[in-house]
Amino acid sequence: MTEAAVAEGARERILAAAVHRIATDGIDDVRIARIAMDAGVSTSLVHYHFETREALLEQALEYSFELAGDVRIGDEEGDAPDHTRKLAAMVDQCLPYPGQLERDWILWVELWLRAVRHPELRPTAARLYRRMHEWFAQAIAAGVEAGEFDKSVDSEQTADRVLAVCDGFGVRALLGELPIERARAEVWAVLSSELGVDPDHPAG
Amino acid sequence: MSPRPRLDHVRRPAILAAAAEVIRERGLENTRVVDVAERAGTSAPSVLYWFASKGELLTVALTAAEENFYQQLHASLAELGSARDRIVRLIESASGTGDYDAALWIDLWARALRDEEMAGIREQLDVRWRRTIAAIVKEGQEAGEFGPTDPDELALLLGSLLDGLSVQIALDDPAGTPERARELCLRLAGRELGCDLTTQAVGTAR
Repeated sequence: MTEAAVAEGARERILAAAVHRIATDGIDDVRIARIAMDAGVSTSLVHYHFETREALLEQALEYSFELAGDVRIGDEEGDAPDHTRKLAAMVDQCLPYPGQLERDWILWVELWLRAVRHPELRPTAARLYRRMHEWFAQAIAAGVEAGEFDKSVDSEQTADRVLAVCDGFGVRALLGELPIERARAEVWAVLSSELGVDPDHPAG
Repeated sequence: MSPRPRLDHVRRPAILAAAAEVIRERGLENTRVVDVAERAGTSAPSVLYWFASKGELLTVALTAAEENFYQQLHASLAELGSARDRIVRLIESASGTGDYDAALWIDLWARALRDEEMAGIREQLDVRWRRTIAAIVKEGQEAGEFGPTDPDELALLLGSLLDGLSVQIALDDPAGTPERARELCLRLAGRELGCDLTTQAVGTAR
């Protein structure tokens, strides 16, 4: 292996360890030394790659979103037979289902928390948010174009609303106040009513 | 000057207000008791006389901020004659940047993920908020202003939408302005209530 490849491997291990630790301990309590230990590298190497906690969080989030991105913004729901099912699959990707999505969600809440007080993180938050917005707005517009959704739908507004209710219901599900299936039904009720499609989630 | 802290000197409300301010600026993790004392113009022992821990300080500061919010909200709602105007005012008060303390809320969410006591407090505050929304919906239904919808369901829906939007506002997302949040909420609530909420701003006399 070349030196560059070794360095890249270490960076990736650090990021994977950081995602895991941030989700477990919270960004405020996460210890750099602990991440280094998990990744099997020295503390100074972690500091070398990530000068501040904010930089580490930002990179960990980007990393986590990119990993999930193949599923999320990729082609999986491209196989959906229609636009309604595609959107239903997208909603599911935005809720804290146990596993990877739940872990992403905890990072997401940590990002909110950190970005409120560290303005330098807000562009990251805004960028991730924009990406989700575009993803939804385009899928909605495509369904309107195909005549599957109500033609009076404002895809930009509907995208913002569906993301906000995903966040609002998602955080309640994450805290255990609502079953995840209820959160999904609520989000789908909002979205299906806006689009003028069947209020029952297509996956049942 | 006596080295002994004078506990009667600074009252609890002043300490609470100072705590809310400092926590909002720095987050609970970076708030030191001495910072709160300094802001309130008192000593650390006086603060600790009232509050055993930082966690307690956040809880009480949040509750105090909530009390403040509700006092202002209820005073403001009492001026309005119709349930329609009251629900619009409620949405405005929660989607603005001023009264509603999103930074403290987000701190509570993040802590609630790992702390059951905090999770309980969050839920209590949420229940109170949803009851406030549901009460206006019921009044409007009794007065024939709103259509039939489950008031508790709508309260949960509106509460969740407002939370999601308040995150966007708190993060200064250029697309997530208070005006846009207000409009997104009014449209959704209006559709659920079978009552157009967007046509006339509250408080503008004809």
